[in-house]
Amino acid sequence: MNFDKEIDTRGLNCPLPILRAKKALTDMKAGQVLKIVATDPGSVRDFQAFSRQTGNELLSHGEANKEFTFFLKHR
Amino acid sequence: MNPTDPAQLAPYVAGGAFLLAFLFGAVGNKTNFCTMGAVSDWVNMGDTGRMRMWLLAIAVAVLGSGALQVAGIVDLSKSIYPSANFTWLSYIVGGFLFGVGMTLGSGCGSKTLIRIGGGNLKSLVVYLVLGIAAYMTLRGLLGAFRVGVLERVSLTLPTGQDLPALLSALTGLAKETLSVLLPLLIGGAILAFVYASRQFRSAFDYTLGGVVTGLVVVGGWYVSGVIGYVAEDPATLQEAFVATNSGRMESFSFVAPLAFTLEYLMFWTDKSKIITYGIASAAGVIAGSAAYALATRSFRWEGFRDAEDTANHIVGGLLMGFGGVTALGCTIGQAISGFSTLALGSILTFVAIVAGSALTMKYQYWRLTRSG
Repeated sequence: MNFDKEIDTRGLNCPLPILRAKKALTDMKAGQVLKIVATDPGSVRDFQAFSRQTGNELLSHGEANKEFTFFLKHR
Repeated sequence: MNPTDPAQLAPYVAGGAFLLAFLFGAVGNKTNFCTMGAVSDWVNMGDTGRMRMWLLAIAVAVLGSGALQVAGIVDLSKSIYPSANFTWLSYIVGGFLFGVGMTLGSGCGSKTLIRIGGGNLKSLVVYLVLGIAAYMTLRGLLGAFRVGVLERVSLTLPTGQDLPALLSALTGLAKETLSVLLPLLIGGAILAFVYASRQFRSAFDYTLGGVVTGLVVVGGWYVSGVIGYVAEDPATLQEAFVATNSGRMESFSFVAPLAFTLEYLMFWTDKSKIITYGIASAAGVIAGSAAYALATRSFRWEGFRDAEDTANHIVGGLLMGFGGVTALGCTIGQAISGFSTLALGSILTFVAIVAGSALTMKYQYWRLTRSG
């Protein structure tokens, strides 16, 4: 999937992945896609809730090699 | 089993605590029960689901513990929480620092144990630092500061600090009446708030996590206050709560028990040391969480990202150890077990913990925005 910006939150636990994503989105325009890579198992639930609450669509998420990848579309 | 022999009762108390904690650990892992996460979701994205889950646990504990009290099954005044010594500065400072610490350390004491069960080695370091800091605050260098400075600022409330006793003294209403009414009113009001959210009602895990956590605390009072109660200890000729570190009736708390676990492991050959309620409960949470993680194949090793991440977790553990002992408990110990006794200090600590955690998150975000 194409994306406009990527942040690496591997090794970080709640609340830092959410805070870094929130900060990254403030520097992006509507419609742009943010890719987030994380290793915290709780990040799946966190980014689902973040998307629901903030309106930034979670385009997809997946797990491979013990890493979680999320694609958020800036609202 | 001789119901008056503490030595014979101790394994039943520790076993009961372990089983309840095992359940809490497994359900906590499954439902993502996390008090720091509750604050984070609320502050960072406006989601109150996990905060309502925590509040549901409090409501269930208030109603269940109140029922045990009114039925005469346990006497909550025998716990440490509703004492006459209202150390308000300790509750505020300790609670606030605990809130800061749990934000830096990826979760409170109970979440630390749940994360360890899931394979998080960072939380194992938090456990060790928290335990040492807690012990230093109980009996060591930090203890001198706690007792000599913070605890000197206090009020003596002759009736005790539980809300039924305080309101009885203020209004003249019978304490027995208020002991029935207040748990119903407070527990009922929290339940109404919790279930007013459609999103909360639609996700069963929220209800599961909140109800099980609340019931585990109620069950904890039963284990310590009924199974572990000896009206007259043959050795002292005084009443006793068997296998407790505090010598009082206990329910779940996850700060001092981590220190006592380290002490037990270091003094293994000292036969005066036994597996207490608190030690068994800490082990139970790890075991329950690990069992769930292994059964669902979600167990995964996690380590530190870099030096800053390591430092954050070490400082987090230090602050939780000091803050938790100073405030007489944590997000479970004060905010659920203590809250269930309707002690004023528990409610104050709960607010201070949330404030410390929320402000730390605001600071972390401000730092990110400054770093560009």
